Amino acid sequence: MQTILLIARQTWKTILRNKASLWLTVLLGITLCVATWIGWQHYQTQQQQRLQYSKAVREKWVSKPDKHPHRMAHYGYLVFRDKHPLSFFDFGIESFSGVSVFLEAHKQNTVNFSEAGFSNGTLRFGEMSVAMVLQLLVPLLIFFLGYNAIAGERESGTLKILLCQSVSWRQLMIGKTLGLIAVSFTLFLPVIVLTIVLWAVLSQGQVAADAALRLLFLLAAYAVYFAICAGITVLVSAVSRSAKGALTILLGSWIFFLVILPRLTQAAGANIYPAPSKIAFAAAVEEDLHKQGDSHNPDDPHYAGMKAAVLQKYHVKDVKDLPFNYGGYVMAEGEKISAGIYADHLRRLTKIYQQQNSFTVAASYINPYLAIRNLSMALTAADFATYASFQEQVEQYRYQLAQRMNRLQMEYISNDKPEVISHDHWAEMPDFKYRFKAVRAVLRDQVATIMALVCWLGLMTAGLLTASKWARTL
Amino acid sequence: MKRLYQFECILFFRTKAAWWGVLILLLSGAAGLYLGKSFIDKQRSVIQKAAVLQPENTQRNLRYFGNELGLMLYHNKYTLVNQPDPWAAFATGQRDINPVMLTVSMLGLQGQMYDTDLNNPVNLLYGNIDLAFVFVFLFPLVIIAFTYNVLSAEQESGVWRIISAQADRPQRLILRKLLVRIAVVLGVALLLLLSAVVYLRLPPDGRLVWVSILLLSYLLFWFALSCWVISYGRSSGFNLAALIACWVLLNMLVPALVNIWTSWRYPVPEAMETAMRQREGYHEKWDVDKSVTMDKFFAHYPQFRKYPFDSSQAFSWYWYYGMQQMGDDEAAASTKAMREKLRQRQRFSNAAALVLPGIQATLQLNSMAGTDLQQYLQFQSALQQLHEEVRMYFYPLVFSEGKTAAADWNKFALRYFEAHDQRPDWRQGSILLLAALLAVMAVRNFRQTLKRSL
Repeated sequence: MQTILLIARQTWKTILRNKASLWLTVLLGITLCVATWIGWQHYQTQQQQRLQYSKAVREKWVSKPDKHPHRMAHYGYLVFRDKHPLSFFDFGIESFSGVSVFLEAHKQNTVNFSEAGFSNGTLRFGEMSVAMVLQLLVPLLIFFLGYNAIAGERESGTLKILLCQSVSWRQLMIGKTLGLIAVSFTLFLPVIVLTIVLWAVLSQGQVAADAALRLLFLLAAYAVYFAICAGITVLVSAVSRSAKGALTILLGSWIFFLVILPRLTQAAGANIYPAPSKIAFAAAVEEDLHKQGDSHNPDDPHYAGMKAAVLQKYHVKDVKDLPFNYGGYVMAEGEKISAGIYADHLRRLTKIYQQQNSFTVAASYINPYLAIRNLSMALTAADFATYASFQEQVEQYRYQLAQRMNRLQMEYISNDKPEVISHDHWAEMPDFKYRFKAVRAVLRDQVATIMALVCWLGLMTAGLLTASKWARTL
Repeated sequence: MKRLYQFECILFFRTKAAWWGVLILLLSGAAGLYLGKSFIDKQRSVIQKAAVLQPENTQRNLRYFGNELGLMLYHNKYTLVNQPDPWAAFATGQRDINPVMLTVSMLGLQGQMYDTDLNNPVNLLYGNIDLAFVFVFLFPLVIIAFTYNVLSAEQESGVWRIISAQADRPQRLILRKLLVRIAVVLGVALLLLLSAVVYLRLPPDGRLVWVSILLLSYLLFWFALSCWVISYGRSSGFNLAALIACWVLLNMLVPALVNIWTSWRYPVPEAMETAMRQREGYHEKWDVDKSVTMDKFFAHYPQFRKYPFDSSQAFSWYWYYGMQQMGDDEAAASTKAMREKLRQRQRFSNAAALVLPGIQATLQLNSMAGTDLQQYLQFQSALQQLHEEVRMYFYPLVFSEGKTAAADWNKFALRYFEAHDQRPDWRQGSILLLAALLAVMAVRNFRQTLKRSL
């Protein structure tokens, strides 16, 4: 054990004593600080805007005068997507998903105004966030600093000496890996501290247990990721003929696994599970709606049957004699049918998207970068599942709003002429509040990626422990 | 002389790296071509489907609402297609993010024109693979792989000492090696470009020339950068690490910084403002006297004063469309502010592109292919014109209480918008300028390094 720690400390010292290495590390450290600061600023600007407009929307809604409830259902609601405080750490799909959605009766609108829509194409190069630096650049730094961990010793002849001095391969490999991990942690620790402080400021001291757990798992996941990268570096260094060969292999893999493969796997998923276009989707919804009957057609059997049933139930001859507003009743029924059909189609569409994304999840087993990327997005609530649940909650809210207005119409509006009802009813409709998933649910969704990270960690450890069997001594 | 180049060529192709590099470029180039084309083909088939659906929908609406013109116009929709250029498959740009087409009714435009297509945001996040991606991201990496050890390998193997002792101008050897590598990379680039011309049916016009010049200068920039780094005569390992660091800096880190800086410095709250104002502008008119709406409406369109407005009716389509118009009119200021904000963003990234060849090449390719934000803003303007045309055609009919049969419903069949503003942009010269600068610095360094090594 002592030997291992000695080697680890020696590795750490040698790396940081090298001027070029030190500069690279310091440079990356500065980059990380900049990323943290900008991410935080960006989060605040965005969140403030959204809160400000949400508040304005609510105020306008409550202050509407007496109206016919159906006018109110069409006035509708504007909802702005909430950002999770941790999303300043990892932007995930935040910039590619819309921000505001208009909710009204009879109609499901798209979530509009994504940051990507305001971009002129440079967004393709990515956005600088703490997560981007940690996922892409820290591994690169580890590769740069560690490629000659073993190969360098071999080239200078010290490897033979070390192995003769009763240092085992196992001790050497683990020691070197720990040394590299230590270097990555000298970068990572300040980030952890900074993140916790900023996040506490964002939450204004009201730290929720759930968010704290999210952060804890997030930091643990990154620690594992760095360990995997360090282990891979030492392993490659041990099998390569020369230090230059090790560097070439490491850089080549970095480019292939972190730049090219992610695009390829996602493109494969999107091509193998084609999703319907917007017009195809709308046409399919429309077709199902027509099967259920057409509320615009007075002779439609479905709605004629419904009318007859209602008349019979209340023993009246004309809808005007019903104890409630018949128009409101018809709309409530129509909303129920159309919302059900839409929800069904949306569920299927979400399923297709999940299938597309499952390629990237599966690829985590051949590419640890994708594992950490998916897990990090999920823990910072900037992933597809969060977006899908936002859409679901928004649609639920829209449905409740429409039905509440229909109920008000049935209760308070007479069948003879259009009237208005008191504006006191508007405040009864609660404001929209997005509920983030609990961390347990997030982890349950991410079992596959967590397993992938664990597998990688195990594989790497096994490689390090069995080094004497295959590593190159000469 | 010719034989020397032949030898150099043979030597180059004896290395595994040469074959791998060429193979990777050809394979990824083919993948880029295929994926880019299949992406645009998918959009084309959606457009075809829309061309069938639109008249069908109009006919159905006529069947249901044909006896009431106002109601018919409430439901009927008109589509403007953002027709992809053949070059769009080469550089798909923003076409995955921005809608392929926009479908709007005669109601308030501002509430409809920002609707998005249905997309998997994760697909958008990872982005498409097209030939532009291969050129901008992968070619530089292969150039680095080909050149990082041109000088250092000779020094490290000890050959360099012999050469510099025997040859009278050893720098010629390095130049020859570089020229062979440049020729191979440009050859692959030309092959891919020609395949693109055939496979994507690109018109052989001035744009092809400009794109070729752009790509040529971009590749030369990376050769120049590579030469500059290796001209210091450092070890292979150092060169490789330094060049990869350059690539990360120029094609990843700084652009990523520019992006986050842009979205932080130029936020677009005007978008939310527009959504709110449009909604209020229309809806609050239900609660005020009709004259408020109509006075403003006639101020906007004095020509419609001649149609008498009966304010005693509780509801009329005349009033209804007047109110809808108010939504757009009252959102006009924030719409304009939003467009101005987007222009500011463009100005900023155009400025940043002057020193970042990767961004410059991407922006220029997208602009040439008509897949950038500029083109989409033009498309939005065209949609605005179409919408205005629809209003100007139907307003008089509605206001004079005309019948649906009086209108020509085929007049607004599917319309196509094609980009036409794809003039060459001299800003792309910045890449060549940077390349020249680096080349000069490289030559100066080489001289000093060689002097030192003698």
